[in-house]
Amino acid sequence: MDTSVITDLFDTSTDNALGWIGDNGEWLFEFIRFVLQGTYDGILWFLELAPFYVIAIIAGLLAWRLLNPVAGLLAGIALAFCAFMGLWAETMSTLALVATATILALAVGIPIGIVAGFVKTFDRALEPALDLIQTLPPYIYLLPAIALLGYGPATALVATFIVAMPPSIRLTSLGIRMTPREFIELGQASGLSPWQMFTKIRLPFAMPSIMAGINQSLMMAFGMVVIAGIVGSGGLGETIYGAVRTLDIATSINAAIAIVILTMVLDRLTQSAAHRAKAGVR
Amino acid sequence: MNTVKEANDVLLDCQNVWKIFGARSSAAVKAVSERGLSKKQVLQDFDCVVGVSDASLQVRRGEIFCIMGLSGSGKSTLVRLLNRLIEPSLGKIVVKGREIAKLNPAELRDMRARNIGMVFQSVALLPYRTVLENAAFGLEVRGVPKDERNETARAALAKVGLSDWISRYPSELSGGMQQRVGLARALAADPEIILMDEPFSALDPLIRRQLQDEFRQLTKSLGKSAVFITHDLEEAIRIGDRIAIMKDGIIVQVGTAEEIVTKPAGDYVAEFVAGISRIHLVKAHSVMRPVGDFKTSQPHCDVDALLKASPEADIGELIDITMRSERDAVAVVENGSIVGVVTTRGLLRGVAGMPAGAPGAA
Repeated sequence: MDTSVITDLFDTSTDNALGWIGDNGEWLFEFIRFVLQGTYDGILWFLELAPFYVIAIIAGLLAWRLLNPVAGLLAGIALAFCAFMGLWAETMSTLALVATATILALAVGIPIGIVAGFVKTFDRALEPALDLIQTLPPYIYLLPAIALLGYGPATALVATFIVAMPPSIRLTSLGIRMTPREFIELGQASGLSPWQMFTKIRLPFAMPSIMAGINQSLMMAFGMVVIAGIVGSGGLGETIYGAVRTLDIATSINAAIAIVILTMVLDRLTQSAAHRAKAGVR
Repeated sequence: MNTVKEANDVLLDCQNVWKIFGARSSAAVKAVSERGLSKKQVLQDFDCVVGVSDASLQVRRGEIFCIMGLSGSGKSTLVRLLNRLIEPSLGKIVVKGREIAKLNPAELRDMRARNIGMVFQSVALLPYRTVLENAAFGLEVRGVPKDERNETARAALAKVGLSDWISRYPSELSGGMQQRVGLARALAADPEIILMDEPFSALDPLIRRQLQDEFRQLTKSLGKSAVFITHDLEEAIRIGDRIAIMKDGIIVQVGTAEEIVTKPAGDYVAEFVAGISRIHLVKAHSVMRPVGDFKTSQPHCDVDALLKASPEADIGELIDITMRSERDAVAVVENGSIVGVVTTRGLLRGVAGMPAGAPGAA
């Protein structure tokens, strides 16, 4: 017997299933597209309200407050540099994409992580699913997304959302599980209700881990959002993809620099926020 | 019933309590209650560890009750049974007349929040809260409004001498100060009973002694009852009104410091007691010779001319009196009449911890 029959059968049924989902779930995907596109447009509209120097100054001040004056100066200059390269609009749409995908990933991931932190069986069931998401090549998520949502930012957002979610689930769950034994005992001996135990003891102790998860999710989102340039995400990812196709090395390097700047600024800002949470708990 | 008055004064009553850990603990508990298995048999037959075995104790209102034992003796398990952080396998624990095993979760939380405070060896101060917020924690849990609970917490911190530190974070405080905050947190909630789980064990000796004295003074002046866990017999003697000695999950002796030091129950306690200074523990009444006895052996000694002491005078005081006197004996006076005489020999016997009937008693 030819084994290719089996694989052919699998392939056709996968195609059929995707087709069926596309036909019958159109309203659902229309809705998802609407929500994603809407959130993205809203954030982008907000970011474009201010001229580039205002945003550069705000980022500089934040870095100054959270880190140090030198970091503040560097962050401001680096962001302004993106504008001088003529890539400000692209940089802002990339920021909007990353922000939208990360916020959604956290909105879903943190609650799932909290439940997983309490329910051990759920955590164990989740583990292989998260492993799968993290080991599959990220390109894979683009294909079904493009089939169901079409070409554009919404597809990029779904793929980025999927890739960005696992770290926040994992680290939230870890943080909730790692509450020191003696503080659980303190809570019990003080007569805390389960809800008080969660809000007054478990959550504060989990905060550094949750913040680390937010930082990791953000970094994953940056990685994915560039790849998603292929499906017309807009922003720097698409600029790079276009430059690669036309062998425009200068533009691709400029866009890559802009990505690095944006990534580093956001990484340092969220990391220092995580450190502050940790210093509070120490 | 004339015992009612006395029973009312027992705040915490622990009756024949067992705690057995292990996969087959329920079968082991059954065997213990039906056949009275020993700890060793339980381990052999059921592969279960007996944490606490048939423990009974009563803590009276205003009393500081010490539970002393080495690590693994079950003392930490026992104290956690008292506020049901650990469920007893067998036996009854009654706090303020209510059996705590029968409380539902809400009632149990309420009892822990209002009636039984706890102080931990690890202190367990919440690192993301200031000293004041930590001290107010118990009241916050009970839903006391912020101004009120902060005022109470401030007063509790003043009692432990930390008024100047209220807006600091725990990490800025020394170990001794942190444990003071732990005590203030327990006091702020105003419970009748405070469970102290080796609170001073991790502190250096000087600070430890200071805190022991402060703790005793504070507890007595506030009229609180306390169950104090320690592995240090000297600490138990300094702090406790009564002391229970635990070994392998069994309470081997309960008594005052003097009772335990002068009449140790068995070799285990005797060995512990051997190194303890008796100077402030042994009292005149337990080292004196009856006055008639003394007169027959020393007929030319005028008993009435001796310096006098009360039967409650400890050996330290008796030594002082003897040094001031020209003679080697002190008369013990009770209700105006001489009841006995403490000789230097008797003092030495008391210091050495020799029981009255032992050879060399003279």
